[in-house]
Amino acid sequence: MKLQEFMTTKIELVDAEAYLYDAIEKMVDRRIRSLVVRFPGKNVHSYGVITARDIVFKVLAKGGNPKNIRISDVASKPLACIDKDADFREAAKIMEDTNIARIFVCEEEKIVGVVSLIDIMDAALIMRARGEDVS
Amino acid sequence: MFLKKIFSQDNKEQKVIEGIRRHIKLLCTVCDTFKTAFENHDLKLMREVFDIEREGDSIRREIISDIYQGAFLPYIRPDLCVFVELVDRVFDLIEDTAFRYLDVEIPEEIKGECCRVAFLNTRISEMLLITFEAMLKGDDLREKTLAVRIYEKKIDDIKFVLIKNVHKIPISDFWQGKSLSELISGLTAISDIIEDASDHLQIINVSMR
Repeated sequence: MKLQEFMTTKIELVDAEAYLYDAIEKMVDRRIRSLVVRFPGKNVHSYGVITARDIVFKVLAKGGNPKNIRISDVASKPLACIDKDADFREAAKIMEDTNIARIFVCEEEKIVGVVSLIDIMDAALIMRARGEDVS
Repeated sequence: MFLKKIFSQDNKEQKVIEGIRRHIKLLCTVCDTFKTAFENHDLKLMREVFDIEREGDSIRREIISDIYQGAFLPYIRPDLCVFVELVDRVFDLIEDTAFRYLDVEIPEEIKGECCRVAFLNTRISEMLLITFEAMLKGDDLREKTLAVRIYEKKIDDIKFVLIKNVHKIPISDFWQGKSLSELISGLTAISDIIEDASDHLQIINVSMR
């Protein structure tokens, strides 16, 4: 099953120079756990990602003030990207090898979606229901 | 299992089962026709949805009439009829949605998401057919109905994005706006009814044990 079949196309962006508090507000309002961070530049390599995990472990748990910290100080860069025509197994392997919970789906230097662990689980369950080989 | 035992013995039941199978296969065809017409902006192909819906209507009438002419035990007949009616509601909704499509220009901002919903509608209808075939074989339907629910949830997620995006699109004419709104509602409600139909298959399956 190809990634484009079950990826999420809802992607929220924040600027790298904004404060972490802006990112937190966006995550809470949109009920999402990660945001794509826009660094200067126009291709896919100029994007990073910030997750709820980064915010909690790198800042909040250490007593940091999110109103004084820039997103760029916490965000990870570059994004883990995979082609939209790739199979979900390839995505699962990258996620397992690199210990990440989501991977971005790209097409010609453009982010077109994101696949999280729950999407991978959904894909595997659908394949099982269809009687296709999941392994 | 029960269904399989019954229809292998009697022609009436066999005819009903074959009718339901044809009905669901036609549902897959209509979803696929809608998707292809939508993707390619093929208005002629979109009009074929109306013909397929009429064919679906005639299959539904045939099935219901066969059921009440004595196929299956009386206690199971209403459940089978409800299932057939649910599938028929999907045909009606696709027809309405196709009609709206002919009536309105789809804004570029939401075209991609609409195409994804149309594609997922084809997948969820295929899953309904797989669920029905599994019921005939006497298989456990749990995994199949879960897959249907996963597809439905995915379409629901896209629906919220679509609604959010459509609010940003300026509408100059009331009727255009209404048609666009109804098109999105129809397109995203198809999976809800297919989910109900799949749940109903599970009820039929359990009630026959």
